[in-house]
Amino acid sequence: MQKTLEVMGMVCPFPLIEAKNAIEEINSGDELVINFDCTQATESIPRWAAEAGHTVTNFEQLDVAAWTITVKKK
Amino acid sequence: MLQMILTGLLCGALLGFVMQRGRFCLTGGFRDMYIAKDNRMFYALLIAIAVQSVGVYTLIQFGLFEFTAGSFPWVAVIVGSYIFGIGIVLAGGCATGTWYRAGEGLLGSWIALFGYMFMSAVMKSGVLAPVNQSLQTTQLPSNSLAESTGLSVWVFIILLVAIVLFIVIRELRKPKVMIPTMKQRKTGLAHLLFEKRWHPFFTALLVGLIAILAWPLSVATGRVAGLGITTPSANILQYLVTGDNTYINWGVFLVLGIFLGSFIAAKASGEFRFRMPDAKTGITSFVGGILMGFGASLAGGCSIGNGLVMTAMMTWQGWAGLFFMILGTWTASYFLFVRPRKVAKANANAIASTL
Repeated sequence: MQKTLEVMGMVCPFPLIEAKNAIEEINSGDELVINFDCTQATESIPRWAAEAGHTVTNFEQLDVAAWTITVKKK
Repeated sequence: MLQMILTGLLCGALLGFVMQRGRFCLTGGFRDMYIAKDNRMFYALLIAIAVQSVGVYTLIQFGLFEFTAGSFPWVAVIVGSYIFGIGIVLAGGCATGTWYRAGEGLLGSWIALFGYMFMSAVMKSGVLAPVNQSLQTTQLPSNSLAESTGLSVWVFIILLVAIVLFIVIRELRKPKVMIPTMKQRKTGLAHLLFEKRWHPFFTALLVGLIAILAWPLSVATGRVAGLGITTPSANILQYLVTGDNTYINWGVFLVLGIFLGSFIAAKASGEFRFRMPDAKTGITSFVGGILMGFGASLAGGCSIGNGLVMTAMMTWQGWAGLFFMILGTWTASYFLFVRPRKVAKANANAIASTL
């Protein structure tokens, strides 16, 4: 299953805080797609995912200053 | 004048570029020490301080310029830094962070920047100047760690370098976590400059070197100081509303350069876009900017002026300022991030138990 979190327009650290909240609500093996436009989150979200042991299955720039990352819950 | 414009803009642009590409965010760093138990950015700051300290005191040793620490207005530094720390969390970035995010096109940062410049001018030459001055009068005679203890300044510098080396070696020895990155689209220099993720310690080294460079460049124009953000930001507004040329100095071009350098970095990396925050974020940013201007003017420096430069100069003002600014960010983080989560969890549990 896949859940999408739209945090475009949110500034740091809110995209990461929202992502942490959202991942608690999904089951292990499910994916969380996070769409964001806070530049600093390109560093903080993948870092958090890696350190928490989740798998990043997709990470790309969608457009000018817009990114998407998919985190598969461990 | 031309020299002042060129070297100021150049130094600022280098700093803005490096901070944008390196995601060098001190507010986030201080905040994460508390909410994520992550000290990485704080260590990065210590690296930048140590590099600058060695460099600047070497220049002083060779007689390029003189530095006097003056007295230590401890009440103003403690109160001001604490308020500044609260302000930067609300504004979503410290003074420099706000300048470089403004260059990324974040309109929330433009709002914060205006509040910051406005309140700094009010505190320095406006209606609150007497309040500011009266709080500055409670002073300790010496601001210099070396002078207070009777030791050579190099004792403190060597101690700091030793601590930093210990931390860096310990951190780099930790088992590496693979941080996922995006697919590489650029090659060569363009990849290194406009795409690659920079290690925070590498960014910190560059920030330290730019902070050294700032001293001789600024001194050459008659301003005996290093990087500084608050006074120059206020100076822009003071100059614009009074037309008085004496407000123009090297620092003014430095802060304008930060904006420019960050814009160039963001634009070339495909990260520049005007982004309008919602009303709530806009108001929080404005309040944050006001608190930043109030606090930094009182403390005689922001996270750069006190946190990066006055610490490197081994002054009480710098280290006390840094400590209380961090306490301020933790206080604001508790009310903004930690407590709401606790409340939400408690509510969720309460609902679950009634079912």
